Amino acid sequence: MCSQAAENEMESRMKPDGEKTEPPGYQRVVLKNASPHHYLKVRLLLEDESTRVSAVELKRFIISCLRGLHGEVGAALEVDVLKYDEETLSALLRVHSRGLVKLWSSLTLQGSYQNQACAFRVLQRDAAYSRSRSRS
Amino acid sequence: MAVFMDLNVLFSADRKRMQSLIETAAHLGFSTVAINYVFEPTAKKKQEVPSPMPINELIGQLPVVQGRSRPIRVLNRLTVVMSEASHFRPNATEYRAFDLLAVQPTTEKLFHTTCMLCDVDIICISVTEKLPFFFKRAPINGAIDRGVVFELSYASALRDTTMRCYTIANSVCLMESCKGKNIILSSAAEKALELRGPYDITNLGVLFGLSDADSKEAVSSTCRAVLLHAETRKTASGIVYTMKSQQEVLEDSAGSEAPESQKRPKTPGEWGFGRGRTHS
Repeated sequence: MCSQAAENEMESRMKPDGEKTEPPGYQRVVLKNASPHHYLKVRLLLEDESTRVSAVELKRFIISCLRGLHGEVGAALEVDVLKYDEETLSALLRVHSRGLVKLWSSLTLQGSYQNQACAFRVLQRDAAYSRSRSRS
Repeated sequence: MAVFMDLNVLFSADRKRMQSLIETAAHLGFSTVAINYVFEPTAKKKQEVPSPMPINELIGQLPVVQGRSRPIRVLNRLTVVMSEASHFRPNATEYRAFDLLAVQPTTEKLFHTTCMLCDVDIICISVTEKLPFFFKRAPINGAIDRGVVFELSYASALRDTTMRCYTIANSVCLMESCKGKNIILSSAAEKALELRGPYDITNLGVLFGLSDADSKEAVSSTCRAVLLHAETRKTASGIVYTMKSQQEVLEDSAGSEAPESQKRPKTPGEWGFGRGRTHS
């Protein structure tokens, strides 16, 4: 996919020559056209903090959130979990810009995960992948 | 910069829970929260209006708002659930202790009177049941002209899917008449996990039928307008207000409370000339 290639390119630009340089505080990204994807950095908060959630379970939970609020149309949205950290339960999601409101609202309105209270905290929302990366 | 507010956090006697609620709100970026005391009068027996607990007694140290480096502001708010016209007493002294005054009318007739006549700041729209009446244009326009706002809360939508249906249906129904003006979105949260961040709520507003700009206003500038409106209720249109001078407080500390009618001057010494604020 072309967008995947663009991401890889950006990633390589971030780390020149494999050397660990301090990333700049900000980076200016100019988008000529509206960006096709939006990136959401989310963290799942659970009532019982010892619960383990694997990446597959998270993806399934996100799809069930979408199905719960928007039905089949919501479940058909293409959502990708690009990165996931099991320790902190934080993930980086990619979604088509058209589906951003649907995904975000279904994450917001989800109040329980396996019969325990939960909350998705959206830490960051961006149209450019590199910016969501660099500020982490 | 927009300042975000959540004007409805349910009161509970559990101090620990209140503390975690307010800390979470500050962490999410809300610079003002209002603790809501719900008062539901019943026909059978006379009930006492709850009195607000002093803020410093409830939470020791106020947490710092994320990104603003100043402590969160905590207000008190009373919600009167009205099923009869007599439940709301316009000049009750018990209401004075609260910063904000809200009513939740349950019938169409009461909705009309609260919109057109009652001196309140917020009208709550029920989100836990199917709307028992249809929103008419006349009372809603009257309320908008008077600067009264309508409140939609989202915490019940997190608990149950049926409630979620009602929340969305009622809010879309309301948007048809008021066109996104004078709406506030608040949480009505009991637990810290039921709170959501201000940008999440802005996005939720889009789902409720608001436009992008209106839904951002629903958590920021409309809330500020409510606070200013509440101030005008206590003062003479926000321009002139009365306050006790320090000496008098010392002299009759055992005496009476605040002056009966704040609009009537008693002695010239009691007048303070206001901060020049007019309500928006």
